[in-house]
Amino acid sequence: MEQNKIEELVAKYNEGLTDPSEVQALEQLIEEGKVDLTQLRSLDRLDEQLIAIESPATSLAMDDKFYAMLSKEKKKAAASSFNFTMPSWSWLAPRLAFSVALVVIGFGAGYMLNTKSADPNVELLTQQVADLKESIALSLFEKESATDRLKAVSLTTEMDQVSKKVTEALFQTLNNDPNVNVRLAALEAITPYSKDGSVREQLIRSIGKQESPLVQVALAELMGGLQEKKSVTEFDKILKDERTPLDVKNRIKESIKVLI
Amino acid sequence: MTAVRDGDVERLGLLFERYKRQLYGFFYGMNRSQELSDDLVQNTFFRILKYRHLFRGEGDFRTWMFHIARNVSHDHYRKDKLKWKESVDDWQDRLGHEENREGEMQSTEKNVMLAMAMDRLPQDKKEILLLSKYQEKKYKEIGEILGCSEGAVKVKVFRALQELKVIYQQLEKTM
Repeated sequence: MEQNKIEELVAKYNEGLTDPSEVQALEQLIEEGKVDLTQLRSLDRLDEQLIAIESPATSLAMDDKFYAMLSKEKKKAAASSFNFTMPSWSWLAPRLAFSVALVVIGFGAGYMLNTKSADPNVELLTQQVADLKESIALSLFEKESATDRLKAVSLTTEMDQVSKKVTEALFQTLNNDPNVNVRLAALEAITPYSKDGSVREQLIRSIGKQESPLVQVALAELMGGLQEKKSVTEFDKILKDERTPLDVKNRIKESIKVLI
Repeated sequence: MTAVRDGDVERLGLLFERYKRQLYGFFYGMNRSQELSDDLVQNTFFRILKYRHLFRGEGDFRTWMFHIARNVSHDHYRKDKLKWKESVDDWQDRLGHEENREGEMQSTEKNVMLAMAMDRLPQDKKEILLLSKYQEKKYKEIGEILGCSEGAVKVKVFRALQELKVIYQQLEKTM
């Protein structure tokens, strides 16, 4: 069919004037990719309206069931792989690299302590060790294993000063990590920097992103300790949320009482 | 998903977090029951875990996930022969339930009417529209799930939207 005939047919459809044989012809053109569904205005509007309807929120019970299943499966997998097999290189390499890096850090730190007053290159070496620690921590944040990510958080607590990259990684972990223990560890690691205004603001923003009662309570305690009044609005939302368990609501109320 | 297939099952948690809402939305759109949708999401991820060795890694994970979700949904309806009543009264009843009120009360009247029209569509047409929504109109991928061509998927979407439009207009007149 020629292009102008196709356009005529589409226009006719949009006017609601097509007969069944023309609708059939239109179907043929849609199948061949000559007419796009978005050209059919009333249908496209309906489709967009359908897409715009927001999906209902999922329940915490669903999460619990899933993680219980996953944990059971992990135990089963661990039990079935009890027989010793030679680990693969992809499994071994990051662990080996981590061990070697720790040894290097150890040597570096020992060297620094012994030669602090004598060696003019101490500052440079200190910087190199700090950079190495930071790059190890950042790479561990990306790991799938929660233990590795906990190691990353723990490494950041050993740093004298953290860079913006590390702070961002810690907040990324606090807001998105699937494991609640890792999120709690990240919060603990961020706490010493909460005097900084931008860190505080990010912490306040983080309140609304938390679904775990443990993290919500920990944040409430921290904000109470910091006397951060701006956080009250965020906590109000949690208190108004029907899904929040009563115990958690009470603990949050208790923690932020000093702010109200 | 390839990491999960190769034994790192913990990583399934990331996929769950990323896709649970879409999957839940798909099931909820099919059956309008929060409890049942919870169970079907759980069943889908259980099967993903059970059959992880079958993931070939050629297509994307979401397509494979919806393929499994569709089977889970079909198995459920086959087993229970569950049929939803499709009357306005039923809908109002369901809107009255605590579990549905929160989401639906916020919806506009038009959206509620559209959801009612969706409920009145035959299962296959409802399914294609929900797949189109949650697969973001990637008709080629939907074709992989349904086992048909991209063009055939577009025609199915066209027919489903046409029928939806007719039902929607009828509802508009009655309300």
